[in-house]
Formats: sequence, structure tokens, C-alpha cells
Amino acid sequence: MDTTATSQQLFDLWKRQIDEGTQAWARVMTEAGASASRIDPATFWRPLMDQGISTWARVMSQGPASPDLMTQWKQFLDQWIEAWSKALGQAMGTEAFAQSLGKYLDQWLVAQGPAKKAGEQSMEAMLQSLGLPSRAQVTGVARQLVELEERLERLEDAIAALLKQKDGKESP
Amino acid sequence: MGQERFADVVDRFTRGYEAAEVSPEVLKRWQEELERSQARMKNFARMMTDPVEPRTGQTPRQEVYKKNKSRLYRYESTRTGSTPLLFVPNLGISRPYIFDLLPGGSFVEHMTKQGFDFYLLDWGVFGPEDNDLTVEDCVTKILPRMAAKVLESSGASELSVLGYCMGAPISACFVATHPEVPVKNFIDMAGPIDFAKVGLFGLWLDPRFFDVDRFVDTIGAIPADMVKAGFKLLKPTMDLSTSLNLWWNLWNDKYVEGFSALNRWANEYVAFPSEFFRQWVRDFYQGNKLYTGELRMGGRPVHLSRITCPVLVVGAKEDYIAPPECVKALLGAVGSREKEYVELPGGHISLIAGRGAAVHCWPKVSGWLAPRS
Repeated sequence: MDTTATSQQLFDLWKRQIDEGTQAWARVMTEAGASASRIDPATFWRPLMDQGISTWARVMSQGPASPDLMTQWKQFLDQWIEAWSKALGQAMGTEAFAQSLGKYLDQWLVAQGPAKKAGEQSMEAMLQSLGLPSRAQVTGVARQLVELEERLERLEDAIAALLKQKDGKESP
Repeated sequence: MGQERFADVVDRFTRGYEAAEVSPEVLKRWQEELERSQARMKNFARMMTDPVEPRTGQTPRQEVYKKNKSRLYRYESTRTGSTPLLFVPNLGISRPYIFDLLPGGSFVEHMTKQGFDFYLLDWGVFGPEDNDLTVEDCVTKILPRMAAKVLESSGASELSVLGYCMGAPISACFVATHPEVPVKNFIDMAGPIDFAKVGLFGLWLDPRFFDVDRFVDTIGAIPADMVKAGFKLLKPTMDLSTSLNLWWNLWNDKYVEGFSALNRWANEYVAFPSEFFRQWVRDFYQGNKLYTGELRMGGRPVHLSRITCPVLVVGAKEDYIAPPECVKALLGAVGSREKEYVELPGGHISLIAGRGAAVHCWPKVSGWLAPRS
């Protein structure tokens, strides 16, 4: 019996089961909507995992263990990750997900806004009491330097244009 | 699975192993596997206890010009071609040394060895003083000046422009609105153009779900950690896959060296200036104004049809940041008679960095550009 061919068949079967299982799981979660949190993942996944473990037990006991098993185990994990990546990608590509992500960011902003402002005010007060420049003051100086650099460049451009004009007039 | 079944499995495995004869071929491979396991443990211990800082960006270069945080670098090259090439990468997000990662694995090194006079625009790392920087400033102030400096330092009368990722739509805006700048060739590598087909980011940044004005007004500049979180969310299993591949190839010293360099880059994110982020999201992701022709930069309308030089568009088959159809849209939008689209294997990063890039992408780009330079 060609154990390599049989191992490959079992491996391909497991890969197909993972693929179909994750697609089905993604469909169940999408259709369940708000009641998704009440679904028990173990009820869904236990039969698949049991079948998978017994599949692998058959593979491992079919003949002498070989280094190919390590490669196949790696491939199995790659397929598992790829299948989950696909399922997650599909779940995240829905408007429902985008909406919940937007709501989460909104809530975060609601908390972040006042906290940030309070933090900045207290830091500014502390720096002032220590006689040190505040972040706003340092940033202001940096902005002025940037503007100065811009003005110098505009001056350089104007001088270059004038020189070019002068060269143009002087040459025959 | 109960304890009894597990015991059966172990029993069948060991009995099966003892009963069968093991061929010399299998023994040899087990020996190799054992040696690899030892090498894995050795390299793992070294990575944990004595990590070596990867030496990236080793192609010799000279700083030609600087404007605030932005730097223009000219790389050493035989300069057999007469037309210099200005490489415009993404602003923010990540550092540009990915394009010159390691000797033997560097896009910059490849191009300079092919004889191109290669210039890289490094946008820099922005601070709070740069929060007023907009996309418009990049197109109307920074890029024209960089192009002028390229022509001045090279002594050439024309230049080619290569935009990668976000650098492609920004440089496309520049080329379309500055016909006075002598751009001889334009290349778009993995640069999104039609943002209606940009994938997950387009959905998550939809104005129905994401208020960019409120976001920017509240937090100001987008912190590097938030940029990182956004990109990680695109592919949540990436870190798991990377760790698995690292473990698998940990016996290979060359792989470990490459991984260290790439891993350092992949975790070094750069913040977005606030007004740049606002305009980028509102006009490009939400409004898709570049593709629809509604965009204006410096008072000039941005019509991609005004790009008439030869154009090469390079898409990546597995790119989920700038999907191929989103990138390919440039082909139908430009007014060039000579234009070509190629779709190469790889993702957004592996298109331009890594072993696959050296085989597929780099020769394609240099091969297309060389006779036109």
C-alpha cells in the first residue's frame, strides 16, 4: 500500500473539511447577527476536531513515521491558518463589521477626547510651574522654523529666476 | 476526544513504528531533521539572548537635498542611463529602508547595478509641528522641488518617476498637474487609483461608518501604534503565519538574517500628520476624487488624462491593500499612447521586497525602464 498517497488523500480530505467548516462557521455567525454570542462554538467545532484527530491518528499509524509527517504537519497548520484568514476576511468585509468598528472608534473618541485635553492641560500647568516650555510652545517654534525655511526657498527661487533672466538678456 | 482514544493513538503509533523496517533513506532524512532541530534551538537561543541588529540600507548614498523632514538621496551607481529615476514611496506608515533591505535583497541595489541614476524621496518621520502638512503640500511644494533637485544634481533634462503604494497616486497627481516638469516615464507599483475597489480599508473608512473630521479633530496626528493596528487588522493571522514560518525555517541562517531585517521594518510604523490623513481619507478613500477627476491641487484640476508619457502599472496578485483592479485603473485613466499593465505574484510588500520580487518584479521594472532611459 502506498502510504504516501493515502496520507496525501487524508490530508486533502482534512484540508477540505477545514475549508468548508470555516465557511459554514462564517455563514452561521453572519446570519445569527445579534444572537451570535449565544452560539456555542464547541458544539459546532467538536465533531470536526474529533474527526480530524482520528484522521491524523490513522495517518500516523499507517507505517513508520517519516520526516514527511513534519512537512505535512506544517502544511496542515498553513492550511488551517489560511482557512481562518479567509473566514475572518469575509467577516471583516461586511457592513456589519465596519459599522461595529466605527461604533467602537466613536466610543473610544468619546473617552479619549476629554482625557487627552485634561492630560494636556495638567502637563502644561506643571511645565509652567517648573519654568519649562510647554509642548505647544516647542511645536510653535518648530512651525516657525518650517515657515522660515519655506520663505528662504521662495527667496532662492526668485533669485534663481532673476539670474536666469539676466543670463538670458546678456547672451547674444 | 477522550483519554482512551488518545492512548489508542499512541499505542498504534509506537507499535506501527517498531514493527516496520526503516530504510536508510528515511534514516538519513531523520538525521537531517534532527540536525535542523538542533540548528533551530541554537538560532532561537541566539535570537533571544544575543540578537544581532540587522544592517539595513547599506547601498551607498548621498543626501542631495532636505526640506523639513523630507530628504532626497542619490545612490551610487554606474549611471549608464541618462535619465534619472525619482522613487516616491508612501508617506508615513513605514520607513523606506524596505527598498534597500539587505545586500543581495535590495530593490535599490538592483536598480543601481542596472545603471540607473537612482534617487529616493524619504518623506521622513513627522512630528506635531507637521500637522498642517496636507496631500496638496506634498504635490505642489515638496515633489516639484524634489524633481527640480533631481534634474539639477544629475544634469539631466528629463526624469522618470516611480511611485510605490501611496507614493503612486501622490506622484500621479504631481505629474498630471505639472506639465512643465519634464517627466519622461511614469511607473505605478501597487499604487491605488480607483478607491472604489480598494477593498477592506475602503469599507472601514466609508463616511457612513468613519467620521474622519471628528477623528482628526479629537486625536490630531494619527499615532504610529494606531496605524500599525489598522494594518494588522487587515490580516489578523499574519503574525501567526509569520511565527510558524520562522519556526520552520529557523535552522537556516540566511532566512533568520532576512527575517530579522524584515521583522524590524514590519514593526516600525510612522505617524500620519493630521491634515494629511484628513485629506487622504476624505478626498481619496471616501470621495474617490482622483479617479473621478474631481480633485484639485494648488488650484489646478487633477486629470489623470494629462499624463501622456509612457506608463507602466504593476499590480500584485495577492495584494489586499491595493488590489489589482484598483491599481490597474490607472491604465484607462491616463492619456498615454504607450502604456502597459503587468500583474505579478506576491502581496503588497512581497511585490517589491523579498526573493520573489528579485525574480519577478525588479527585472520587469528595470527591463521596461532601461530602453526608455
